[in-house]
Amino acid sequence: MVTMLRTPAAWPSILLARADAKDPLDLDAAVAAGAFDGLKRAIRDLGATATVATVAASGLRGRGGAGFPTGDKWRTAAATDADRRYVVANGYGADPASHTDRTLMRRDPYSVVEGSAIAAYAIGASEAFIAVRSEDAAVIAALQTAIGSATDAGFLGPDVLGSGRDIVMSVRPVQGAYMLGEETVLLKALEGKRGQPEQRPPHPATVGLFDRPTVVNNVQTLAAVPWILREGADAFRATGSTHSPGTVLVQVRTPAKDGIAEVPLGTALRDVLKLGGKLPGERTLQAVLVGGPSGGLLPPDALDLPYDYADLREAGAHLGSGSIVAVDDRTDLVELVGVLTRFCSNEACGKSIPCRIGTRRLAEIVGRREGGLVRPVDAGLATDLAHDIVASALCDHERLATLPLTSGMRYFGSAFAPTDRPHPIATEAAR
Amino acid sequence: MSFVPGLGLVKGMALTLRRFFEPKVTVRYPEVRLDVPPKFRGRLQLLYDEYGTLKCETCFQCAQACPIECIDMGGLDTRGRYHVHWGAPETYGERREESALRRSGRTVPDPAYRPFVAVDLGEVDRILEEHDHDPAELLAILEETQSAYGYLPVAALKRISHTTGAWYAMIYGTASYYAHLRFEPASASEQAAAVAAHRPAEATYLAALGSALDGGGRPGAPARA
Ligand SMILES: Cc1cc2nc3c(=O)[nH]c(=O)nc-3n(C[C@H](O)[C@H](O)[C@H](O)COP(=O)(O)O)c2cc1C
Ligand code: SF4
Ligand code: FES
Repeated sequence: MVTMLRTPAAWPSILLARADAKDPLDLDAAVAAGAFDGLKRAIRDLGATATVATVAASGLRGRGGAGFPTGDKWRTAAATDADRRYVVANGYGADPASHTDRTLMRRDPYSVVEGSAIAAYAIGASEAFIAVRSEDAAVIAALQTAIGSATDAGFLGPDVLGSGRDIVMSVRPVQGAYMLGEETVLLKALEGKRGQPEQRPPHPATVGLFDRPTVVNNVQTLAAVPWILREGADAFRATGSTHSPGTVLVQVRTPAKDGIAEVPLGTALRDVLKLGGKLPGERTLQAVLVGGPSGGLLPPDALDLPYDYADLREAGAHLGSGSIVAVDDRTDLVELVGVLTRFCSNEACGKSIPCRIGTRRLAEIVGRREGGLVRPVDAGLATDLAHDIVASALCDHERLATLPLTSGMRYFGSAFAPTDRPHPIATEAAR
Repeated sequence: MSFVPGLGLVKGMALTLRRFFEPKVTVRYPEVRLDVPPKFRGRLQLLYDEYGTLKCETCFQCAQACPIECIDMGGLDTRGRYHVHWGAPETYGERREESALRRSGRTVPDPAYRPFVAVDLGEVDRILEEHDHDPAELLAILEETQSAYGYLPVAALKRISHTTGAWYAMIYGTASYYAHLRFEPASASEQAAAVAAHRPAEATYLAALGSALDGGGRPGAPARA
């Protein structure tokens, strides 16, 4: 069971507003609490074009990590000529250590179902898929029940709310690779193909699932949409930061606690980290790992940084899976970077050269430092290599996979520099 | 048809003589290049590195891209999974040996090769029927096939390829990508371990992450003061 962290009362609750419901699957209770009001408003008052415009006006940005403006994505998909369009809710939750998306879908499946339905209505799609991990039986069951009751109530299925539009929704369990979280890979899996990313553009919004325009959105992005339609774009703009309104789910992990909370974007990293409680005993904070397996290591004096897309990217980290880990002084940072880089390299799909070979070389450089076999050229090599990978990568995974090492070298340079520790072979010979 | 004896021979010699007195042309390739037909793509050839070993990584990208499925390969793929398919059976062993030797210096037994001994295809036919032979449902087909046989026998993959019309390289590409799909029966534990070593499970990552955060146990780590 995941822990929910307590947040200050002043923070808005958009995604988890109904998360404390006794039975999250009780449709009547959810409707009484405002579920499907957004869909009703979209269909009865706004119409498709104005729905897209409202979402665009709210400034909502993708919670899957990249922060792409959702309104723009929808507008592109709606404007592309096609015989069919699709909506795919990305609930894969690639980072195995982060349970934010899963928790949302378990605690309030109706918000994701409603958000997907609104997206389908807005772009003119008649089919929507919610992609989740096959391992999460509870999530699959919750979503299936939610889709079933929403269909019985007329919120999904043929002629939704008298609009004359059909919206068929289904859960698609997928498994077997970290990369399935990446949108083009996810679409490949839904098509029954090898999970390797595609060159973009064309973005999925123009050429997506089965070559039709497809909106792929993170489940948190979609769950915020009903709130926006219900409360208005301006109310949404009033939350979060100027450039990135709204809230996001984070998984804060400290030696004391490991739990999930909803935080407004733009909150100082210090305040987000505080949700995880104090470090026990005499331990001191050494670094903060922000963004999951491909996250960046930030030093303790960067804690005033706002938790927001652009600020984190500039500092060498990213929003990623919403994971924020307090790294205390027991941790050997080189080992931590090794664990992360190796994971990224092992999970790289193999399609392009920076992916297949670049990430492997990065892992080797960290490995040499871990084993004490560091070469004098390694620091320069790592910098060059990271630069080349970022410049030539096919998908974001390789670009992000450079972050643990580059941020480590940037802020904790001494830990990664060659040491005067005797070379293991020299030690061997001296015996 | 001519009945003059030796006329054919004379005609042949005449051609030889004509060619003999034609001016000789040497095209100074690569500075000068002759025109080639538009669809000419050269001869397919695998290159060798400075150690004399094949450079091919067995990544199957070329086989997947080839529009007429004329490219085939066998060996250890980039995930450490060992597989051979299409092509003349007598060349399997040779190609396998070469590729495996190149990577590890020793030969790798290939359990996926043996299922050319009879596999009852009734199950996979039933599964294919259920999915209407639709290649878009390939993942579900593969998952069900695996639960029916315990792994993905080559014979079953070939059947899937034949009846769905999807290229074998595509099916192999899909099957070899997802970590939960495997080509070896549970009894081939060595093979399974070799595959797992190339792509550790999530649990391994979580354990390593947890251990690193808890002060770790990296052998040879400098002792902290
Ligand atoms: C390696 C990698 C893993 C990703 N994992 C996820 C994921 O688990 N969930 C998710 O929603 N997006 C993930 N993304 C981002 C998606 O590619 C995509 O940008 C997102 O689903 C789009 O939705 P959004 O616009 O709502 O953010 C990942 C991207 C990369 C490069
Ligand atoms: S399998 Fe990959 S490495 Fe080998 S020849 Fe084809 S494309 Fe090149
Ligand atoms: S992970 Fe292979 S191209 Fe990005």
